[in-house]
Amino acid sequence: MTRTGTRGLSKTWRVGSIFGGGLIVLIVLFFVSLCYGEASIPLHTVIEALTQRQNTLEHNMVWDLRMPRTVIGILAGGALAIAGALLQAITKNPLAASDTLGINAGAYFVVVLGAVMFPGLLHQAPFLFAAVGGLLAAVLAYFMGGGRAGSPIRLALAGLIVSMVLGSFTGALHIFYSFETQGLFLWGSGSLVQNDWSGTTYAWPWVVGLSVIAFLLSRQFDVLDLDESTSTSLGQKVSLTRAVGIVLAVLLSTITVSVIGPIGFVGLVAPHLVRLSGLKMHRWVLPGSFLWGALLLTGADVLAKMVHQSSMDLPTGAMMALIGAPWLIWLILWKMKLPSGINGQSSMNIGVRSRKLPYGRLVTLLGCGAVLLTVFSLMFGGMRIPVGDLLSGLFGGENANSALLQFRIPRTLVAAGAGIALAVSGVLIQLAVRNPLADASIIGVSSGAGFGALAVIIVWPGLPVYMLPIAAIAGATVSAAVIFFLSWNNHLNPSVVILLGIAVSAIGAAGIQILIIQGSLWGSTGYIWLTGSTYARNWGQVATILAFLLVLLPIAWWLARRFDLLVFDDSSAMGLGLPVRRTRLLAMAVGVLLAGGAVACVGTVGFIGLIAPHIVRTLIGHHVRRSIVLSSILGAVMLVLADTIGRTVLAPTEIPSGLLIALIGAPYFLYLMYRSNKSKSV
Amino acid sequence: MKKMLNSLLLFVVFTIVLAGCGAAGDSSKTEGTAGSEQTSTTAGPVTVKDDHGEVKLDKPAERVVVLEWTFTEDLIALGVQPVGNADNENYKLWVTPEAKLADTVTDIGTRGEPNLEAIAALKPDLIISNADNNAAIYAQLKGIAPTIEFDPYKGNGYDYDRMVEIFKQVAVATGKTEQADKVLSELDQHYVEAKATLEKAGKADFHYALTQAFTAQNAASLRMFKENSVVVGTLAKIGMVNDWKSDKTEKYGFSTVGIEALPAVQDSNFIYITQKTDDVFGAAMKNNSVWNGLNFVKEKRTYPLDGTTWTFGGPISSKVLVDQVVGALTK
Repeated sequence: MTRTGTRGLSKTWRVGSIFGGGLIVLIVLFFVSLCYGEASIPLHTVIEALTQRQNTLEHNMVWDLRMPRTVIGILAGGALAIAGALLQAITKNPLAASDTLGINAGAYFVVVLGAVMFPGLLHQAPFLFAAVGGLLAAVLAYFMGGGRAGSPIRLALAGLIVSMVLGSFTGALHIFYSFETQGLFLWGSGSLVQNDWSGTTYAWPWVVGLSVIAFLLSRQFDVLDLDESTSTSLGQKVSLTRAVGIVLAVLLSTITVSVIGPIGFVGLVAPHLVRLSGLKMHRWVLPGSFLWGALLLTGADVLAKMVHQSSMDLPTGAMMALIGAPWLIWLILWKMKLPSGINGQSSMNIGVRSRKLPYGRLVTLLGCGAVLLTVFSLMFGGMRIPVGDLLSGLFGGENANSALLQFRIPRTLVAAGAGIALAVSGVLIQLAVRNPLADASIIGVSSGAGFGALAVIIVWPGLPVYMLPIAAIAGATVSAAVIFFLSWNNHLNPSVVILLGIAVSAIGAAGIQILIIQGSLWGSTGYIWLTGSTYARNWGQVATILAFLLVLLPIAWWLARRFDLLVFDDSSAMGLGLPVRRTRLLAMAVGVLLAGGAVACVGTVGFIGLIAPHIVRTLIGHHVRRSIVLSSILGAVMLVLADTIGRTVLAPTEIPSGLLIALIGAPYFLYLMYRSNKSKSV
Repeated sequence: MKKMLNSLLLFVVFTIVLAGCGAAGDSSKTEGTAGSEQTSTTAGPVTVKDDHGEVKLDKPAERVVVLEWTFTEDLIALGVQPVGNADNENYKLWVTPEAKLADTVTDIGTRGEPNLEAIAALKPDLIISNADNNAAIYAQLKGIAPTIEFDPYKGNGYDYDRMVEIFKQVAVATGKTEQADKVLSELDQHYVEAKATLEKAGKADFHYALTQAFTAQNAASLRMFKENSVVVGTLAKIGMVNDWKSDKTEKYGFSTVGIEALPAVQDSNFIYITQKTDDVFGAAMKNNSVWNGLNFVKEKRTYPLDGTTWTFGGPISSKVLVDQVVGALTK
């Protein structure tokens, strides 16, 4: 047999296994899904229902409740997978998919917004809202990722960050308009539950039609795989193909979001499974992706049904994240072409620094500002306290105000302490991974800590309180260790670290969701705790955060001189005689411990560790000790301010501080992205 | 560098001083509040039994802050309006208008995160809290005023006996034990009459399944009540028989299910509570073959109740539930 013959044979085998094997698995899952539900229906009845349907309850249940759920799973999984395959071809980016480009988050945000602003209109045309949102998010991500000049990794990062920003806006809508968005809450995690066929009848013409169009255009998409010069020589046609592909992908994913909510990772994983088998041509890749996407989502749904707790369902999306996130990690580490000149890229400089300000004056100014703000913040809350009472209260006069002393002071102190811990943790983690876009929340440490703490609350509610910070730290350490060691061989490349962090965050968030469901914590304290809250913090938490700060801040201070050298690239640092990796590990360890302490006290407040050090850098440049001091003050100011606003604006109802921080922090992060992008391309 | 360190130190010292004053001033203040309003009533000290043991009050409470609607309703049944209640707006939406909250009651925030300062500002002499939601702030509540805390869902869940037990303790705390006995005996009388009405209508020993349903995840989500719920206990008083069985222990007294679980009770009678804005069993089920195939749907044995029929309430809710059910069955 000739060489080409063997190749032909193995290709047949590959096609056979991808399509034949996939189809067999899908059929098996299809049956399992039909057999699995609240009512117990034996297999032979299911088969009977399929072959000779009669108007009995059991047959109707199989046909009109379980079948729509299974079918929408197949359609949605397929649609998301084709969208992913198209986006990967268009952006030449193995990490592209409708969720990693922000399309799902955008669609969902606009749907929730619609539920608040135009409930009637939303009810009539949910697809319209979803499509508008998805398209806007895609455009935003594209623009932020540097447009055509942007690298694949940048684009994926931008998309994920756009998702985060929109996610925080959606979270805000859920809290401010909890009544209007009530029904959307679980849907927000993606759920396949169907009342009847209406969702399916609504979606299938779109999904099938758009998929067929994509298939018919598969030759055009093949052209996109050619190298840049060859494809540009084909001129206008390529950009047209790109545009058509993006529209197809956006429509396919937004129709899915409008029926079952945002579900991630399907579009990322399925096309890769197909391409792994060596299939490259789109006429194979597209139908293969559809098949495997359908298979993945149906499988995730079957698993989610198994976790079903009598009080509530596990969203299919959470299960999909548990399956898909490890894939994202694998893709990042072994399947992605990392940019060359890694060390050169990961500079700590972001944007243009204007001029340095005198440090001493800055400290005095900010310090005074912080003290003033603290006093000011003590005046606001559920009840207003006049300045006179405040002063006499402070100095133990007759008029001492109990509300002030019992409630405001401890929560203000906890906010300040946690703000300091998060900010310093940001300084250290940014140094450790030499990445100006890193902080505890972005690299997944916060959600790991949140998972640990929540596990203690729910699984062992009887444990003493001091276990909470310990569990938070354990969770934080595990996620940090995973990220740190996985990205070690990539020299802690900034993009790799953030992408890994996002994957780990997704696993943590899915775990948290399962815990909330198992512990029946839905909607109340659990959710608010996870967005980060300074509500009702007491002296116990003041002691906890103080203990963390008293132990860790001096260590950070003491090590700061060594950390200073981490700013340079590895080779220069090593030339200066620094054991680079050990120092990085140290910085990381201290940073993670600080973050864990903060999470134990105020929940998963994000972005402070990102914003505070950055602002400080633009003010004074690099200097670790100074940065620690100034960032501390800024971090404290930010969280105290968020706490004050959160307890005052809607009083007596409280707004979680973490949410307020995210509302400012996430867009700021987007802005940083944009700036770093701009300064690099210049 | 020194200068900066100094200012940081100053900041730290300042905050610690703040903290110290806080701790010291705290206790003195609380005592002051408790002592100031003594002579208003002549009734003697009372002892309330709550989940933590016993709470002694120098006199029956007058200014009560309530963090859970169940207890609010208990108070109102005793003829007492609280000075503060959690989430007034939703109370009016979910709890029967027969337990009407006065307009003078101050809203103190959500049930999950009630505003501690707003509570303190009301200078209550009693706080009634729900351990299921408020366990984390128990210590702080006690710092404001004497606090009694119940977890309605502890043990066998919030069943009928638990409802009566908590109602009686709320009565003890407010010095209204006579009123409580009167309310309960009137309620028993009401049950006797309702039972007679049902018998007369030929609905004695009426079998039923009761649900409170809403749309979640774009699909119907049903809370099917079982024996350890106050609603099933109430309906047992008028001779009705609950057909919903579940092997699982249900903390809140109901199983959450979808439409698929209904065939199990299709020969029973289906009583449901839905909100006007969320018509779970109306238009949404019009073309649903499973729903339409259920015996109680085919034979028109479905009975809607008003959306404000509160299923976790006290004596007033029990009375309203009985009125609602009898009204629906004898229509």
